[in-house]
Amino acid sequence: MFYFSQVLIAVFLFSAQTTWLELFSFGGVTPDLILVWVVYCGIRYSRTGGIGTGIALGLVQDSLSGGLLGVNTLSKGLIAYVFSTLKGKFYVEGVVPIGIFLICSSIFDGLVFYFSMEIVLKGEVAPSFLYQSLPVYSIYNALTGPFMFVVLDKIDGWLQLKMSNPHMGMRR
Amino acid sequence: MPKKGNKKNIVLVSAILLFSLSLMTLNVKQEKGATFLDSIAGVILSPFQSFFTQAIQSVSDSITHYFFLVDVARENDRLKLEIQRLISEKNQLTEHLSSQKRLAILMAHQDDWEKNVVVASVIGRTATQWSKVVIINKGTQSGLRDHLAVITAAGVIGQVINVGLNTSKVLLIVDGRSAVDALFQNSRVSGVVVGMGEDECQMKFVPNTADVKVGDSVLSSGLGGIFPKGLVIGKVSQVSRKKQGLFQEITLTPSADLSRLEEVLVLLP
Repeated sequence: MFYFSQVLIAVFLFSAQTTWLELFSFGGVTPDLILVWVVYCGIRYSRTGGIGTGIALGLVQDSLSGGLLGVNTLSKGLIAYVFSTLKGKFYVEGVVPIGIFLICSSIFDGLVFYFSMEIVLKGEVAPSFLYQSLPVYSIYNALTGPFMFVVLDKIDGWLQLKMSNPHMGMRR
Repeated sequence: MPKKGNKKNIVLVSAILLFSLSLMTLNVKQEKGATFLDSIAGVILSPFQSFFTQAIQSVSDSITHYFFLVDVARENDRLKLEIQRLISEKNQLTEHLSSQKRLAILMAHQDDWEKNVVVASVIGRTATQWSKVVIINKGTQSGLRDHLAVITAAGVIGQVINVGLNTSKVLLIVDGRSAVDALFQNSRVSGVVVGMGEDECQMKFVPNTADVKVGDSVLSSGLGGIFPKGLVIGKVSQVSRKKQGLFQEITLTPSADLSRLEEVLVLLP
């Protein structure tokens, strides 16, 4: 049940990311729902579950991006790793901490893309990327994140109620 | 001597790095064909993408026509239900008609290219913020393969980069990895149109001596073997010449509206 619900969430988020989320673009930038979910998994799930989900989501995102395979696997995997490792050392509840975590994650995600474009693909990246697109992307994710956390927490709570033995292996 | 926890962390980070870098290496070395993962992801997600895209169009149509309906309803409440039913039918027909019109405009170009073309619908966009890629609903079953030109009636939009069974990815000309050999329609000076990952492109390697003005049209040159000669790419929106340097800095606005793509033509060889 738990894994099935995770697949359903993934299908919904990826479908939304690749279709109607474009309607909410601000200056050509849309929030990265997958990144928010990876941070959520890193914070809420067990270490193995968080990192595993991060890598898997990154891999699927790479497959759907038409970009260099491995870029999102790397960034999402490391983001999930960092949050899985450090969650016990930080206060991770509330809008402000989640927003700050998402800003840091978004900047890291953008920088991984930037350096992979510059170093591996030798592609062109607009000069405004670092001082325009990336900050907007980070703030947009930080604003979307807390709302998504609330929704995902509700789904998680509902799942726990429905299941007598709720995903013991995945929870922290 | 490192603690057991530290050792585990190092192993974990190394594993993530090694796995990702192996994927990148494999991806760079693999020049053609969709990867297995791409195909699987495309097959699973494409029905959902089609559903969402159609739902958005329906909602958009309903909202547009709702505002039209408000005035009619105020004039005559008794006819409201009847009008709504008619409007609903009209929406469907209007959408059908506009789709047919767009297709007719696209198909009119078939004779111009003297090539076989495949009409495809855009069903989704890239899953990441940074790539400028769209997903179309045609794949190898329709005869598509990598490196085919994709256009609309307005001009070039990009090229096919990844073909699955029923879906393909199209790299838009504004993506940082895109490069199209081009020339100016009037002066015939050539250059290379490269994407910048934003809404506009740049035309590179145009000598400082060339006469380039804002509004000049840029066409594909036919070199490179992907885009046939003479396809409209865009118009010059900004020109700057530096005293030092060999080339001008030219910004182009693509002629096709890349943020509102619905139907596209894929040019078969």
